[in-house]
Amino acid sequence: MSVDLDRRLAALADAVGVADGRLDPAAVEAARRVTGKAGARLGLGVESTVVALAGPTGAGKSLLFNALSGVDLAAVGRRRPTTSVGQAAVWGDGADALLDWLEIGRRHRVETDGLRGLVLLDLPDFDSVETGHRLEVNRMVELADLLVWVVEPQKYADAALHGGYLRPLATHAGSMAVVLNQTDLLSPTETDAVRQDTARLLAQDGLVDAPVLAISARTGAGLDELRGLLARRVASREAALRRLSADVEAAAASLRRWCAPPRPTTVEERNRKTLATALSEAAGVPRVVEAVGAAHRHRGTLSSGWLPVRWVRRLKPDPLRRLRLDEGAQAGFGRTSLPPATDVQRAQVATALRAVADSASEGLPAPWPTLVRRAASAGEDRVADRLDLAVRSSRLDTAAPRWWRIASLLQWLLAATAVVGLAWIALAGIAGSFRIEDVVPLPDAAGVPVPTWLVLGGLGLGVVLSSLTRLVNSAGARRRQRAAERELRPAIESVAHELVVAPIEAELAAHDALRRALAVAAGDGS
Amino acid sequence: MRTELPAALRRLRDELAALRLDLDLPDAAAARAARDDIVGQTDDYLLPRLDRMDAPVLMVVGGSTGAGKSTIVNSIVGADVSPSGVLRPTTRGPVLVCHPDDMRWFADDRILPGLPRVTGGAPTPGTLLLTPAPALRSGLALLDAPDIDSVLAENRALATQLLAAADAWLFVTTAARYADAVPWEFLSTARDRGTALSIVLNRVPDDADREVAAHLAEMMRAERVDAALLVVGETRLEDGRLPPAELLPVRRWLDALAADAQARADLVRRTLTGALRSLPGRAGAVERAAAEQLAAAADLRARAELAYASARHEIEEALRSGSLLRGEVVARWHEVVGTGELMRELQTRLAAIRDRLASLVTGREPAGEQLREAVEHRLEAVVRAAAERAAERAAYAWADSPAGRALVDGAPAVTRASEELRADTRDQVRDWQGYVMELVRTEGAAKRTTARLASLGVNGAGLTVMLAVFASTGGITGLEAVVAGGTSAVGHKLLEALLGDQAVRSLAARARDDLVERVDRLLRDESDRFTALLEGKAPEASTIARLDAAIDGVRRAS
Repeated sequence: MSVDLDRRLAALADAVGVADGRLDPAAVEAARRVTGKAGARLGLGVESTVVALAGPTGAGKSLLFNALSGVDLAAVGRRRPTTSVGQAAVWGDGADALLDWLEIGRRHRVETDGLRGLVLLDLPDFDSVETGHRLEVNRMVELADLLVWVVEPQKYADAALHGGYLRPLATHAGSMAVVLNQTDLLSPTETDAVRQDTARLLAQDGLVDAPVLAISARTGAGLDELRGLLARRVASREAALRRLSADVEAAAASLRRWCAPPRPTTVEERNRKTLATALSEAAGVPRVVEAVGAAHRHRGTLSSGWLPVRWVRRLKPDPLRRLRLDEGAQAGFGRTSLPPATDVQRAQVATALRAVADSASEGLPAPWPTLVRRAASAGEDRVADRLDLAVRSSRLDTAAPRWWRIASLLQWLLAATAVVGLAWIALAGIAGSFRIEDVVPLPDAAGVPVPTWLVLGGLGLGVVLSSLTRLVNSAGARRRQRAAERELRPAIESVAHELVVAPIEAELAAHDALRRALAVAAGDGS
Repeated sequence: MRTELPAALRRLRDELAALRLDLDLPDAAAARAARDDIVGQTDDYLLPRLDRMDAPVLMVVGGSTGAGKSTIVNSIVGADVSPSGVLRPTTRGPVLVCHPDDMRWFADDRILPGLPRVTGGAPTPGTLLLTPAPALRSGLALLDAPDIDSVLAENRALATQLLAAADAWLFVTTAARYADAVPWEFLSTARDRGTALSIVLNRVPDDADREVAAHLAEMMRAERVDAALLVVGETRLEDGRLPPAELLPVRRWLDALAADAQARADLVRRTLTGALRSLPGRAGAVERAAAEQLAAAADLRARAELAYASARHEIEEALRSGSLLRGEVVARWHEVVGTGELMRELQTRLAAIRDRLASLVTGREPAGEQLREAVEHRLEAVVRAAAERAAERAAYAWADSPAGRALVDGAPAVTRASEELRADTRDQVRDWQGYVMELVRTEGAAKRTTARLASLGVNGAGLTVMLAVFASTGGITGLEAVVAGGTSAVGHKLLEALLGDQAVRSLAARARDDLVERVDRLLRDESDRFTALLEGKAPEASTIARLDAAIDGVRRAS
């Protein structure tokens, strides 16, 4: 049982570590107190069993304390409240460290056999006008191994007892006993009725298993039964473990409010894709991709297009250079000339982050969606810069294909052919105007003069070739656009992962760790 | 006592009954209890007593569970009118015992109008059992109240109500109980309200008679509780009743009171005066709590407003900085202007482009439509993100205060932008675009526009004005943004020329005002989700002023 408790305590400590700063501080602090207390109590050994006599003023705690210890240790009186400081009776020796821990100064040794190992505490009341007494009781109720609630026929149904102590301790039925004192004032039938009514109220509080004993400390009736119960608990040495185990269970149950059933700790593929797409758009990736294609077409025209078109095209700026994304700029450290992230882009990023956070945390109980959202938007300010960097440092294929030179050469040749043809016609024309015949020959081919063939062929083939190269370049541009997309997408995805997905998954993992630790702490399935 | 007192009391009662104190402030629960307490006491006791000063004295027998209240009542009247026993709590329904002649005073709902009367049978919760008892003298009625401290919370509430309605308390405690915290809370209440009070110390063991009674008397002195102390010893009950000898102190005291009409009148007057005197102070405490609620509500409202004001600022900044013009919007503008075409680049003359634009815009709808959609898309993104952030900020700010946290926890949907925002934004942006078109159309008809703008046609002019909204307010910055957005020199020149146009500027200013107003409306709808949570939870300033006046009225009248 102790080994198991150690394991569960360690799990609770883990859970506290995860919950700290995430969940309700009061609940986390309560769980932390349990781990601290349990560690200290286990360190003091389970050879002694701390039994506390608690109850309302006038129930006869001190009288019972004296009756059990056999000595008039505690002052008994009519004036209420009588006992103001707790005191201890110790059966056997040792337990000094334990009493130091309990901060009980007044100690007495009792040398009676049968209850060896019992540390009996007489506590002040919790319902009188002395509020200091209540604080002392609260402290001891948290520390004792076994709580014996002493009530009497007048007071067994008080709200201060049931609402203030028994109901909140409903998980601790195994560490409790209720003693109905002063039964000498009742007839046996009345005693039985009151005892049953007490049991009924305890069941209402959720304490079905707590034993109810009817005694009279004054006459000694029922005391043997109580001694027997205490002797069994003391001999088994399990009261402390049982109490701590109930504490751990209660703390785990209180933290489990914030746990959902097992669920994946990763962000769904679909949501990652949506996020990456949104970030791509915000980073201007479509524009870059478009520019890569346009630049390819532009440069293709410049280097392999029809010469007249080339000259016109030179007037237009290069699309990639305009974004400062050509090779030259990539080597440097300057930002791209992609416009800096605008409010619109930041807005798109913000919305995308929140959307992915919301769908990742769907179904988680209260603070988690907020925590996930906060984790997702923590890097929001850096996203724009990182996206820009990712685009800037990506390798875009902008090299000129070799065939452009051949096409260019062909265009020049065709142009030269046309020029030769023109010159030929011009010479022939000039010669004709000077009536010099036959100096410039004008041979025919298929009935058309060869120079005309040259001009028409040079121009016509140039246009045809230009159309062909344009077609090929368009295909090439599309290919390069796809390549650029393939190149940029992982870069964007890695930014998305680092700044958004990973923080979200860290929170999901925290929830899962908490869930698993609490399952162990609560003793589920083990 | 003045004649206007009942009216003043009624006014205070109505003000208090209507007072909302539903924000979860630390002392709200106490204030609500105090409010209900005053309302209840006014209905149950103050108004009926002021109305009939000659009604019999109502003495409420109250105290802890198991103290023997019912036993004492049964013993006094010499009959089993209220069940007694060992099981706690015994009395679950209140029992009123009086001389048969006095029955008429209590049979109607003059006092305690909330408790239906029954006669005969066993007492049941939620009713007032009326029992005639010839053994009692006329002019003094006893009411056996439920306990104040058992596990049954409703007993405690009923006991509080009954004690507030009493002309005098007969407070029963025991030797085991007299130092309990709960009864002393009641005793100090009686002291503060000046309620006539006598304490029965019941079940005192023979050997402890002196000591316990002396200690209790000492405690009463320390707590300044002024009351007769009647001691009854612990004894075997005879037939469920106390032996006459033990009961003697109580009986003697009661008989003296019943015989002396003047003493009874004094008693009634003393409790009434005390209750009236305590009223302004108690109502003042409620009023302070109400003021706190008002302040807390105002604070929460201010927090939500602050969050949404910064959202408004963000959006206006986005409009002003020209950032809406970048990217897609400008790309679409290019399509509209048609600078993508080779031939257009050759034409550098501004007029030619403008003509081209006019014909394009009027002739080819889709490019303009796309531009419009791009503007809509951008605006929606900006508004949505700002609203999301504002909702988050407002929710965080509310969660900082206990009252706000409870409200946000109760309506977790407010931490996000509303579901309808997307559709509403789209509607508003479309309406705005319609408004701009209408503006251009009517202004064009009024011949106030310049020829340059008019030449663009209604659609082209409308789009130009929309762009001008995002560029013109920023002046140079707006234009720079357009340039940075990649507009070619030609498109830039065209825009510059158009945006510099006085007519465009004045139209843009009006269009911008309209847009800002629409955004305001959207954000107001969003922030209203927060203020709606406060609806009916806290009092208004006027309520508090009226309450103050009502308290003052009671103070002056009594």
